[in-house]
Amino acid sequence: MSMRSQVYEWANLAPVGVSSALRRSTADVPKALTAGREYDLFIGGTGNNITKPAETTATQFIVIEDIACSPHLGGAIQIRINTTDYFQNPDVTDQAGIPGLASPYPRGAPSSVNLASATPLNSDQLLKSFDLYPDVYVLPGQTFQILYTAETATGVGVAATSTEVVAAFVKYTLYDGPDALIANKLLELGVTINPNNVDWYKRSLIEQQQRSASMAAAAAMANGGQA
Amino acid sequence: MSMRSQVYDWDASRGTAMTVATSAGKRTSIFIGGVGNNITKPAETSATEFVVIEDIAVTPTLPIGVDTQIATAQRGLTYGVAMGIAGPRAYVQVRINTTDYFLDPDNVPNDGIPGTSSPYPRSIDFQPSFNLYPDVYVLPGQVWDVLVTFFNTQAFAGATAAAGELRCFVKYTLYDGPDALIANKLLEMGISINPGNVDWYKRSLLASQ
Repeated sequence: MSMRSQVYEWANLAPVGVSSALRRSTADVPKALTAGREYDLFIGGTGNNITKPAETTATQFIVIEDIACSPHLGGAIQIRINTTDYFQNPDVTDQAGIPGLASPYPRGAPSSVNLASATPLNSDQLLKSFDLYPDVYVLPGQTFQILYTAETATGVGVAATSTEVVAAFVKYTLYDGPDALIANKLLELGVTINPNNVDWYKRSLIEQQQRSASMAAAAAMANGGQA
Repeated sequence: MSMRSQVYDWDASRGTAMTVATSAGKRTSIFIGGVGNNITKPAETSATEFVVIEDIAVTPTLPIGVDTQIATAQRGLTYGVAMGIAGPRAYVQVRINTTDYFLDPDNVPNDGIPGTSSPYPRSIDFQPSFNLYPDVYVLPGQVWDVLVTFFNTQAFAGATAAAGELRCFVKYTLYDGPDALIANKLLEMGISINPGNVDWYKRSLLASQ
């Protein structure tokens, strides 16, 4: 269990009377979102959150492999490692990140939602245009954030009781213990960190040990059975 | 027959149909949870078995928003106006012995994989974002379970689940007898356990004889 595929899903849903909650509940309702504000999926104070900022310990290594968000409301998703945003404009200025139109969640989601209608969903089914490759590495001891930004606020041009629901998704692999050490080693070697390459490194270590053991045995034989 | 691809399909409406109000927000075992189709005893591997779980999926959900005008199903999912979503808001977790596999970034076990990212059934409207890789290994002698949790009670037309309203799917490969021993050997060697690698190990044994 030292390499584990993990998923975190966020939605602007929380119980009545609070803006965020640590656990999902059957009493969750949509929470309003402000246009242009970055919402941290983990500790942003809106929707489902976790107990502390997402960070890796000294014996953990995280590889973020996919991010996606609802395409409606002009949603976009950004990765921040410590204080550095991953996605930038060509002039190295800040941007909101990958648009939900390019990386929709769920895949097949409609591009727009009109809550002023009995048939609110646009008839299209979006596929992804974006693939997070190369993956994003979160090294031991780093803090990371996934930030969702809506271009349009919720509840604009609809009934006062209507609020859009949006969701965002991050898929990552958590390497823990010895596998995190191997991940660091692969990083030093310039080899892509994925489960296959971690397994390859383990195999090469085992083969090396076996070669050393057989060479030691051969040397002992050559010395007349004396080591 | 010592490597066998297996599937378990669970529907909350089969067998003892799930009562929505009492099951909402609670983890339900798809094997021995007492609702839906169940099996006779907890899922476990014997001393000569090795299970590799390769895929899990559950009924998807579509976030929409609160719209009192919506009266029909949206993309095949019943709409719940309170939560503003269509579908059950369901999640699926794998448990090995007493340890949950999927964790939040703060290392606290979570509800599991959302059906929105790993939908069952897959369709044009709902395609997977999640791929269970690396696979989950159930070693000889371990007990394993797959747990479904849902939160949107309005995704069900009645007080009990109807066919297709909440489903879950598990795909795994069962290695038995000599192939389970080879699977253990591959695990020691740090090689991914799949039918191709088990066959490769058999061929390398034959070649060395």
